[in-house]
Parts: sequence; structure tokens; C-alpha cells
Amino acid sequence: MSDKIAVKVDDLTVAYNYKPVLWDIDLEIPEGVLMAIVGPNGAGKSTLIKSILGILKPIAGSVEIFGKPYAKQRQIVAYVPQKGSVDWDFPTTALDVVIMGTYGSLGWIKRPRQKEKKAALEALEKVGMLPFKNRQISQLSGGQQQRIFLARALVQNASIYFMDEPFQGVDATTEIAIINILKELRKAGKTVIVVHHDLQTVPEYFDWVTFLNVKKIATGPVKDIFNDDNLTKTYGINYKVSIQE
Amino acid sequence: MSSAQIEIQLIASLVAIACAIPGTFLVLRKMAMISDAISHSILPGIVIGFFITQDLNSPLLIFLAALTGIITVVLVEYIQKTGLVKEDTAIGLVFPILFSIGVIMIAKNANDVHLDVDAVLLGELAFAPFDRMLVYGVDVGPKSLWIIGTILLITVALLIAFFKELKVSTFDAGLAASLGFSPAIIHYGLMAVSSVTTVGAFDAVGAILVVALMISPAATAYLLTNNLKRMLVYAVCFGVISAISGYWLAHFLDASIAGSITTMLGVFFLGVYLFAPNKGIIAVMYREKQQRIEVSLLTFLLHLKNHKEKSERHVNHLNEHINWQKVRSKTVLDLALKNNMIYIDKHIVSLTEKGEGFTSKAITYIITNKDAQIEDMKDDFFLFRG
Ligand SMILES: Nc1ncnc2c1ncn2[C@@H]1O[C@H](COP(=O)(O)OP(=O)(O)OP(=O)(O)O)[C@@H](O)[C@H]1O
Ligand SMILES: [Mg+2]
Repeated sequence: MSDKIAVKVDDLTVAYNYKPVLWDIDLEIPEGVLMAIVGPNGAGKSTLIKSILGILKPIAGSVEIFGKPYAKQRQIVAYVPQKGSVDWDFPTTALDVVIMGTYGSLGWIKRPRQKEKKAALEALEKVGMLPFKNRQISQLSGGQQQRIFLARALVQNASIYFMDEPFQGVDATTEIAIINILKELRKAGKTVIVVHHDLQTVPEYFDWVTFLNVKKIATGPVKDIFNDDNLTKTYGINYKVSIQE
Repeated sequence: MSSAQIEIQLIASLVAIACAIPGTFLVLRKMAMISDAISHSILPGIVIGFFITQDLNSPLLIFLAALTGIITVVLVEYIQKTGLVKEDTAIGLVFPILFSIGVIMIAKNANDVHLDVDAVLLGELAFAPFDRMLVYGVDVGPKSLWIIGTILLITVALLIAFFKELKVSTFDAGLAASLGFSPAIIHYGLMAVSSVTTVGAFDAVGAILVVALMISPAATAYLLTNNLKRMLVYAVCFGVISAISGYWLAHFLDASIAGSITTMLGVFFLGVYLFAPNKGIIAVMYREKQQRIEVSLLTFLLHLKNHKEKSERHVNHLNEHINWQKVRSKTVLDLALKNNMIYIDKHIVSLTEKGEGFTSKAITYIITNKDAQIEDMKDDFFLFRG
């Protein structure tokens, strides 16, 4: 972890149909952390990520990536959407989906070539999906689809990774494989931000955490702020989580 | 073949290709209904354009009508965004209104306008060769051919230039946006191409055939491949084959060309729907039957592995033990014998070495659900195919 701020969110308010779902969010994410965003269903976690990435237009507030607007920093940011957000019956293969990760660095019109394909194959290898490279994506299991998404983010070779529930519907083996890759990214100095639902594993997987429920409840190092008080404020019911140091 | 016949087939084929390309993306984006809406709501645009230009083929008319197409899409999206109704309802609200405005405008001016609703909806391909394009007095072919040819050229150029952008924004709009490919630009680009194609084609083939040519070939191609480029190629082929075979069907039946082409589109779709190798109904039914038999086989092998006592393994009593009818027991027994999974000694069934191995592997697979375990079992059995 360095002292540089990777992501800075100021007074962010986002609404769907004039109903705010994120309200006046201030957030600073230091470079090099592996951070969990936790909060109940509908808390606005996906909305927060989408607004940071310019996919949604906020009604107020600003976002900076290493001091500059997102549009200038696309090349260094990678995104893994929630798995249900795409059509898995789309006529394409696993390899092809991973190659899509290289489109950003290519820009408009230019087409992926050998170099991009090679990078995609390496990313597939890293997530253990090389044998499935030519499979149609609907013929992959949920966990395998998640790995493909992860590979697609890896191939972007970014500095900041946003992942929306990468552990959704995966078995224990895949979960460990994914978290190991995320920890490796952190070791390489990358900033990784993960929407996470399993509160039990937060202290084990992450070093930074943000509590979110329409408003930001708290953000900081897991060892300082991951406590029953913040959990109760976020989830509204009494939470007892024993934290292993 | 007369030159008029060749020209008609050429026009129909070019229209088919020009429609199949945007159609493929409309189908993948689950927006088939939007093409129906566009094809009807361009009517007021055509009428206004016709009042101004007095020429159904003028570029200004095409532009105005295409603009009405885009307005339709914007209106549909606006109504949908209010969250009060779903997309299909919004489409159903918008296009009949625009269409009726066009109908009323025609009726009000029926006396001095050579334009009728039937012509717009159904077109008349047979007349297309009569309207010639003259350059400095020289006849260079039917006007429709030039119009649709130009539109097709632009469509193909856009497809080649923006294939990657179209693909990523269709598959994952969120990713496209985060990579800097504005899904809105691509969306309206596609809508613009669809509108222009519809307008350019309606005069020759009519609005209804345009919708059929956009959706049907793409839907047929979708059943045949898991590759987007191939889907485009197949859609184009189905469109052209339907156009030409439809033309000859009309010729021999002395029927409407547009109607016959639409019929052929339906025939090809039905044929593929039934007989497609993977997604076709017959292939699916066959696969399900195979899977049922193979599940039975597996159950049977597991039974043999679990029971060492001879009474449980007597050929004639097997059906009692596993509670199957005679026919099914016989099928399964034969299948197991054929695959060298079992042998029968004095009416007692036992697992062979291969059968033992296969059963153990199957058990590990069932318990661990690890895909690596089944890779080498896949060749033998449908059950484990992805
Ligand atoms: N496209 C949309 N239109 C209208 N409302 C929306 C839309 N997307 C999300 N919402 C609403 O915004 C709120 C926040 O949604 P969001 O998807 O950000 O929640 P989340 O924290 O990611 O939840 P989950 O844990 O279920 O993924 C919810 O109340 C949701 O109903
Ligand atoms: Mg979410």
C-alpha cells in the first residue's frame, strides 16, 4: 500500500428515475489495497461501481482515478460486471470473450491480432480455463463463466480492478483460486475493489473495507473498522462476527 | 431469363443482404420488434417526403423517413424509461400512432398523391425494373437497384469498421461503456442503419417483407452456429436463397413475390428449427432420449457395483430389482454388453474391468463434480457432454 489515492469519490449522488440510490458518497481508496464493498441487496454497490466507471451518469459529484477523470484513465481500469448482466447464449467462445478485454487498448475500429490473442490465452491459462478456450460460453458452468470474466479483466493489464461479486455461485475451489489471483494482483501493486457478500471471509481475504447502504457507513482498514457496530449500522440488525486476527 | 427477371432477383438479393446484417444484431439484442415498429412508423416520413419531392426514390425522402424511424426508437425508449410500461407495450403504443398519422395524411390527399398504403406495406417487386435510373439520358439500371446497392455498400463498410464495437456492446454493454465504446452511439448507429435500410427497401419489397428479411434469416442462422461471424454469413445466405427461391415460387404459382419470399423464409426457418444438428428440435429430442438411456445404464452399472450377491444380478430378475420394464432393461443390458461394460455368466451379470473403471470414474465425477474427471468419458457418452 502506498500513500497515493487510487480512487477518489466526492459528494456522489446517483438516482434511477429521480429516486436516489446513492446519496452523497465520499470515498478515498488508497493505491495497493484489496478492498471489499459490503452492504445488503439493493444497497447501491453495483451502482457505485458503475458510476465510478462512467457507465451511469451521477446527478451530482465527481470521480477521480489517480487525480484525473475516468475518461482519461480508462486504460488503467478493468471491470468485472455481475455475472447475470450479460446474455450467455450470445454466439461466442470463451477465448473471444477474453479477447474483448483488449478492445479498450485497441480503441475504435482497430482489430485484435496475434498479440491480443496471445495475451488472452495467457490470461485463460492463469485462471485455469485454457482447456475450455473454444467452448461456447453457454456451455460453461457458472464458476467457469466467472473465471472467464476474471481472465477478461486480467488481460486488460490494469492498475485498478473493479469486480462485482466475483464469488457469486462459485464452489470453494474456484473461490480460493480467484482470491489467490486477487492477492497476487495486490502483491504486484494493483488496487482491487470487490463487491462481496460473505461477511465471514472479509477479514481473511481483504485488508480494506467499505460499508455501504445508500450512504457510506464507513471505510478503512479491515482490522480497524470491521466490527459489529458498523455491521449493525449497515445491515440494520444486530450482527455478531468474530474477527480472527 | 429476361433481363427484368434477373434485375428483380438481384434487387431482392441485395435487399436480403442489406436486411440480414442489421437484423442479426437486432435478434441478438432481442430487439426484433423494433424493426416492425420502424417499418410501420416511417410512413408519415415517407408521405411528408413525397409531398416535398414528388419522388419516392429521392434521397431527401429516404432521410426524412429514416428520421421518423429514429424518432420511433427515441419515443419507445422515453416511454419505457418512465418505468410505467414495459418495452413491448411502449412499442405497441408508438408505432400504430405514427402509422395512422401517415394513413390519414395519405387519405386526406388521396386525389393528388400517387401513393397508397398497400404499396408501402407490400411493395411491388415486379414493377421495380420499370423505374429506371438515367444518367445523362443513359439507362444504367433500375433505380431501386442503385438505392439498395448504395445502402448495402454503406452497411457493409460500417459492419467491417465497427464489428468489434458492435460485438462487445451487444454482448456486454457495461464493459463496452467502461472501455470507452459508448453503447448509446452504437445503439443509435444500428437504429439508423436499420431505418435507412427499411426505407430504401420498402419501395421495392414493402415494409412487411423488410421485417421478415431482417428477423427470419438471423433467427435461422442463430440455430446453426455459436460464432457471430458465421451467424452473419449464414443469415446473408438464408436471405439470398429465400429471395431467389421465393421469386421462382411466385413465378410458377403466379403469386405475390413478397408473399412467396416470406413463405420461403418461413420454410427455411422451420426446416432448420426441426433439423439443426445441435439446437434443432429433433436433435434435442434424440439427445434427451440418449441421455435417458445412458442415465439408466449408469444406474444399472452402479447397481451391479453395489451388489455382490448373485440374486441381485440375475438377468431375468434385474427388472424387478431396479423396477424397470422388460423393454428398458433389455435396451440397457444390450447397450452395456455392446460397450463391453458387463459380461453374463450363467445368467449372472457382472462388471468387466472396463465397466468397473467406468463406474468408479462416474462415481467420483458425481461426488466431486470436477470436470477434469469426465473429459475422457465424454467420447463414449452423451450424458457427460457439455
Ligand atoms: N436500472 C435500474 N432502474 C431502476 N432502479 C434500479 C436499476 N438498477 C438498480 N436499481 C435500484 O437501485 C438500487 C441499488 O441497486 P444496485 O444494483 O446498485 O444494488 P446492489 O447493492 O448491487 O445489490 P445486489 O447485492 O443485489 O447486487 C436498488 O434499489 C435497485 O432496485
Ligand atoms: Mg449488485
